[in-house]
Amino acid sequence: MTTESLLQQAESLLATMSRGSTRPETNRLDVVIESSGLVPAVSALKNARWGYLTALTGLDLGVEAGVVEALYHFCSDAAVTTLRVRLPRIGGSVPSIYQLIPAVGFYERELAEMYGVTVTGMPDDSRLFLPDDWPVGVYPLLKDFDPQSAQPVKVPPPPRGSSTGERFIIPIGPQHPALKEPGHFEFTVDGEIVTAARMRLGYVHRGIEKAVEQRNWIQSLYLLERVCGICSHTHSVAYCLGVEQLAQVEVPPRAQAIRELIAGLERIHSHLLWLGVAAHEAGFDTLFMYSWRDRETVMDLLETVSGNRVNYSANILGGVKIDITAEFAEAIRRGIDYLEERSRHYLDIVTTDTMFLQRTRGIGAMTREQAEHFGVLGPLARASGILRDVRVEAPYGAYTRFPISAVTAQAGDLEARFVVRLKELFVTCNAIRTILDNLPPGELAVKVPRRIPAGETISRVEAPRGELFYFIRSTGGDKPDRVKVRTPSLCNWTSVLHQAIGCQLADVPLLLAGMDPCFSCNDR
Amino acid sequence: MKFGAMFVDVLRSVFTRPATRLYPKVRTKAPARLHGKLYWDPKLCTGCTLCVKDCPADAIELITIDRATKHFVMRYHADRCTYCAQCVVSCRFKCLGMSNEGWELAALKKEAFTVEYGSEADLAKLFAVEHPGEGIPPAGEKPASALE
Repeated sequence: MTTESLLQQAESLLATMSRGSTRPETNRLDVVIESSGLVPAVSALKNARWGYLTALTGLDLGVEAGVVEALYHFCSDAAVTTLRVRLPRIGGSVPSIYQLIPAVGFYERELAEMYGVTVTGMPDDSRLFLPDDWPVGVYPLLKDFDPQSAQPVKVPPPPRGSSTGERFIIPIGPQHPALKEPGHFEFTVDGEIVTAARMRLGYVHRGIEKAVEQRNWIQSLYLLERVCGICSHTHSVAYCLGVEQLAQVEVPPRAQAIRELIAGLERIHSHLLWLGVAAHEAGFDTLFMYSWRDRETVMDLLETVSGNRVNYSANILGGVKIDITAEFAEAIRRGIDYLEERSRHYLDIVTTDTMFLQRTRGIGAMTREQAEHFGVLGPLARASGILRDVRVEAPYGAYTRFPISAVTAQAGDLEARFVVRLKELFVTCNAIRTILDNLPPGELAVKVPRRIPAGETISRVEAPRGELFYFIRSTGGDKPDRVKVRTPSLCNWTSVLHQAIGCQLADVPLLLAGMDPCFSCNDR
Repeated sequence: MKFGAMFVDVLRSVFTRPATRLYPKVRTKAPARLHGKLYWDPKLCTGCTLCVKDCPADAIELITIDRATKHFVMRYHADRCTYCAQCVVSCRFKCLGMSNEGWELAALKKEAFTVEYGSEADLAKLFAVEHPGEGIPPAGEKPASALE
């Protein structure tokens, strides 16, 4: 179906709940609904299998307007339908849609603690991002938030003894010898079998969404690039695309191609890093060390081409900073030839090594239906047979000129996730070669005004871990009014926590690693 | 299905050199494009301060000595710098550039990362303003720059 017919279908599905609708951009439909109409509206979209819930944005329109909006973004291919629920700034309330879409659990908790919106019927309303000693009634993403009001409060110690009854809970993190990242998990176990799982984030939350409201459009680019140390380029591409849409500037084709090229190198770097981590969690440290040794090749390439090793800073608003000359092209070709050969070897290992397959084959299998129900994204979805890839569904930038074929598998188990990611490396290597052979000539950047025209836009790009979603709002000034970042890891947690139930506790570390979680992305 | 799929790799590694570099004995050359130490050419600068406004890390100070004759001193804080090179892009008069120096950033004191650029006369004027009554700084008083 075309984007236009998808939007018309959504409009007719939501006609009875709608209190007015607009088309802010050609691929977007905004429908204003009452909070009482939220559940019927979401049911209508879900029953018609119209796309998936991609993000929930909170938006404070300011003290004068006295309105906070909760925006539920649904995507189907390139079409985006946003349900806008207008709420009073103080004491607003929306019903939870967790029963319809489990992935919304984390988003609703975030909305509640950042904006003070009461979400009724949430199964878990504990803090997700804010510290335990954060005062009650202080909501940091409201426009009139005063940092002085966020003085730490005394927290009563957690109850000791048998208050949990007969259950045995294993806490893991935020400091734990086997979990290197700052997350906290609680696995309830019956013997060796996990019977319940919950998690807590926010230990390294940096408040980047709030901080960009204090910086100009250019400074924000570099702050947002630092949301993640692995997919940093993807973040800056998503932000640049959004700002360029708002400013209505056309990025030169050469710059778009270079952006895709860097994104390709970054994907190779990210997947090889993940391969090592996942192998390590499975106890296969030989694979971990060899894959990380090879990853140095792509890290060196990125450093040679961009001048930086981690936050490449290749983008500027309106284009890119760096050019790919013939000399660099040759170095990249040599590097990816070697990496492709190595990746084939690793694919052979992960699909044939008997010991390793005992840890991956048939473990944590997620059917297509389950994957759709939990709203998973990226390689996790593709391993379960869902073609969910923004580069294919809604090509952006140079992906229209240099298209990508998505890799899918059917089994949905851990082995399939290894296969999908490794095969993606081959696709990426081929794409990089095509770009290098056909790099369009021309300028590297166009001028973008320092004040961005007022408006709202959505940009979606495919990060190595899945769809990355940016909602950007400008009020016409030299600073963004709101930048919402929804990272793929946040979507994928729900499925993994559900899948852990019924698994052996020993499989849980690999199950968690299998989704390639990024705590830095979560705690943006 | 096979056992020990990586056995050949491991065996081969016994006869190859380690992948680890022998740092600091053997030092890798910095790539030509490395975003390292920032350079500023006082002759071309008009004092528009776009570099200061766009710097995401507040790493650049442009101190006016005399606006009419366009005399400025740039104080660059390499420890705050994120090496994104936005200032180089923002500068319309091409007076900023990043070299591949400063590859190994390490020092025991923060002062070592503060670099001042400008003509000798302007630097002396600035010193006189900031350290009244101290005269001209004796050589070697300032800690050696970590960037050299």
